[in-house]
Amino acid sequence: MAAKIWNFFPRQTESIAKADADRPNQLMLESPSRSDGDLLRLLSAGDEKAFLEFYRKHQGFVYRFALQMSGSTEIAEEVTQDVFVVVMNSGSRYDSERGSMQAFLYGIARNFVLRALERERPYITVLDDPAGDYAAQMVAEEDILGDLAQNERLQALRKAVLALPPSYREVLVLCDLHERDYAEAAITIGCAIGTVRSRLHRARALLAEKMRASERCAV
Amino acid sequence: MNENRELLEGLQALAALGPREAPLRVEERLKVEFRKRTRRRNLMTWLPTSSIAAAAAAVALFLWTHREKPKPAPAVVAAVSMSGVPAAEEDTIASFYPLPEAEALPALENAMVVRVQLPVSSLQLMGVPVGEERAGTSVQADLLLGQDGLARAVRLVQ
Repeated sequence: MAAKIWNFFPRQTESIAKADADRPNQLMLESPSRSDGDLLRLLSAGDEKAFLEFYRKHQGFVYRFALQMSGSTEIAEEVTQDVFVVVMNSGSRYDSERGSMQAFLYGIARNFVLRALERERPYITVLDDPAGDYAAQMVAEEDILGDLAQNERLQALRKAVLALPPSYREVLVLCDLHERDYAEAAITIGCAIGTVRSRLHRARALLAEKMRASERCAV
Repeated sequence: MNENRELLEGLQALAALGPREAPLRVEERLKVEFRKRTRRRNLMTWLPTSSIAAAAAAVALFLWTHREKPKPAPAVVAAVSMSGVPAAEEDTIASFYPLPEAEALPALENAMVVRVQLPVSSLQLMGVPVGEERAGTSVQADLLLGQDGLARAVRLVQ
């Protein structure tokens, strides 16, 4: 039997948080929501309300994806802004037959994240904790829960995810953190479904290895 | 197996952590950007339209100022005394002869008949068959003028 190297306690809030992942925000609930196609058409014609509605509907997962990929709120903000600038400029080019709107937005976000990571790489290597700001936000939440041990394990896991090579990290973030299916992840990344499956398998193996190493260091 | 399950649980816990929304400042920046681009796009839409309109106005002005002045009636007509003749009073002697240059003029929309005294020699120039023996005299004739004041046809009264 494999030694228990971490122990996470699923919390009650998790299932709620998962359900929240793609939930339109409160502003969206106040007005009847329009389809993405309608919103894209309107915002392309210069309708600011349509743009804001579209942004509020989709910004959450774009921001979280960029944050979980980069570990930097600065990059995440920049990527979120860049993604929606692309939408306001050429959103009308979106073709629903080629994939969902989410896959389309994930794809744009992924390209910007990879570009930002490439640009920031020389600086990230000299930092002790490349995701200090992200970690700080997590600590604040975890302090409320008062579970220091779990918090430490989550920090270790977060660092391990960020230490994965980008090609494995993106698959892990999409499939395990954002619960995208293989097909959607494949569209986002632009590869075959089999590639997604094998990369995810490899990513989890690497992650487990890193967690074991982290546990050994702690002991 | 157990390790894998725990890893997935850990990832689920990690997914539930952290901010769920982008900071409000991102939306504010995008709003500014959107307005800027909308203004620029509107400008780009109106600029060619207004340029075309300005060019069309310039062409129209040029044509208006350089339009062909109404040709004066043939010199022979200007030289003669003119008097309006009501159509009802026409003592028609002969039918109208179309003038040679009338074919190039715009189609007749409104017409006016003007009675004039013409030298016979000028009638000959207009292609009206007049005897040589009357070349030195003058005759009364009706000129058919178009809406542009140009003569289209002529007929002899006497």
